[in-house]
Amino acid sequence: MLCDECKKNPATIFFKEVLPGKTVELHLCESCAHKRGLMTAKKMSPIEILQKLLKEKSAHDEQTICPGCYMTLAEFKRVGRFGCSKCVRSFESYIKNLLKQIHQSDKHIGRTLSPGEKKGIEVFKLREELKKALENEAYEEAAKIRDKLRKFGIDNVE
Amino acid sequence: MSNKILENIKWFTQNSKASREDDLEIIVSSRIRIARNIDDVPFEIKMKKQDSQRLITLVKSVLETKLRGRFVDMQQITPLEKESLFECHLISPAFIKKEKPAGVFITDTGNISIMINEEDHLRIQGLSRGLDFINILSEVFNVEEIIGADLGYAFDETYGFITSCPTNFGTGLRVSVLLHLPGLVFTNEVEKVLKGAIQIGMTVRGIYGEGSGIKGNLFQISNQHTLGLKEEDVIETITKLTHMIIDIEKKARDVILTKARNEFEDKIFRSLAVLRSARMVNTEEVLNLLSAVRLGVGAGIVRDVTLNTINEILIISRPANIQLYFGEILEERDRDVKRAEYIRKRLGGNGD
Ligand SMILES: [Zn+2]
Ligand SMILES: [Zn+2]
Repeated sequence: MLCDECKKNPATIFFKEVLPGKTVELHLCESCAHKRGLMTAKKMSPIEILQKLLKEKSAHDEQTICPGCYMTLAEFKRVGRFGCSKCVRSFESYIKNLLKQIHQSDKHIGRTLSPGEKKGIEVFKLREELKKALENEAYEEAAKIRDKLRKFGIDNVE
Repeated sequence: MSNKILENIKWFTQNSKASREDDLEIIVSSRIRIARNIDDVPFEIKMKKQDSQRLITLVKSVLETKLRGRFVDMQQITPLEKESLFECHLISPAFIKKEKPAGVFITDTGNISIMINEEDHLRIQGLSRGLDFINILSEVFNVEEIIGADLGYAFDETYGFITSCPTNFGTGLRVSVLLHLPGLVFTNEVEKVLKGAIQIGMTVRGIYGEGSGIKGNLFQISNQHTLGLKEEDVIETITKLTHMIIDIEKKARDVILTKARNEFEDKIFRSLAVLRSARMVNTEEVLNLLSAVRLGVGAGIVRDVTLNTINEILIISRPANIQLYFGEILEERDRDVKRAEYIRKRLGGNGD
């Protein structure tokens, strides 16, 4: 494969430029890539970017708390890991910027939950309720939950 | 025990109908993994011991009713067995060190593994010999659907699948390909080719050894970004890049095999001779010798060794695997002896 630019040297470098509405792919030789200024900046990896951003503290980090797991934003900045699925929305303004810098995007466009997987969330909640009902010996309640689970096609309930 | 390891890696050592059979001397293997978490369960860092245990029970019971395979409780196996699962690419290095309850489900085909309680609740991974992303992706998503329909994933309309670490947000997808690039290493082109990969959001590392200490000319390319990209686009980008690298690697091989034919044939056959005759050999040496033989097989110079055999030796000669293969704990020196014995046997070697 020859370089797209000079059409002389063999292409050894593959670039993908994402422009609004279209993606341009370029196969360049090293010297043409240099001329375009494409080889100069050393790119930071997502993990390096994350580690850098986690160091930036702000005033309300201790007061910003996730209601799902009681993690504070300060704690998140220390460990770099979320405590539960609600953390994202709890720290949203901070996370939005974080994601933009790490991924150059803050919007998921990939696969979403299938209808079966959406049901899965309900099924799991019912299972948890059933477990609690049984622990509290609330058998009538448990029977009702079992009926609901059967409507989802789940029979193997403990 | 030896059978169990061979069973674990049969995806890597046997021809499969599904995988593409060309360029196997360059494309060693490909891998896809996705990270998923259960919506209603605390994430790894906030999990109590009973949460971890319960998650294992739940996932295990779903998998055991829907898939054929075996569950391995990480707290019930020896450090050597853990190391071996890692050497067979079935678990991650971080998973070896886990102290909380954790387990891995491995399908009978050996190429799909589901780690429970890694950094995320679930890491679903698929492997293939050669380049076969389309098939692995559908196998991985099949497992994803099975678990998700019962337990429900943490998902956000804007941010996608929610993971423990923001670097996996969105698709939670990591796609990687393991390439054997002796031509590019020899012609000193490898660095600029790999720099190009980094520019389009890929990360590149030597699979054995880092920096200038890369062993066996093996390089792994994988995507860095998981948000703002469709799964298929990530796969397409990495596939195109792989084909471009194959192209350059083949040209480099042509150049060295034309300009220095005798030198290279000599190196290839000497490497094979050492593997067939050595009485002691360490892991590092095996990697480099196998690289030369693999090149020889690819160029049609070596005709009595298959890539499947080379793949098997690549995995079985690792430190933990060689011990489990012989079913005994071995000191480093004894490992070198046994490793040489195993390789001689596999390559029809001399003097046994
Ligand atoms: Zn050019
Ligand atoms: Zn939380």
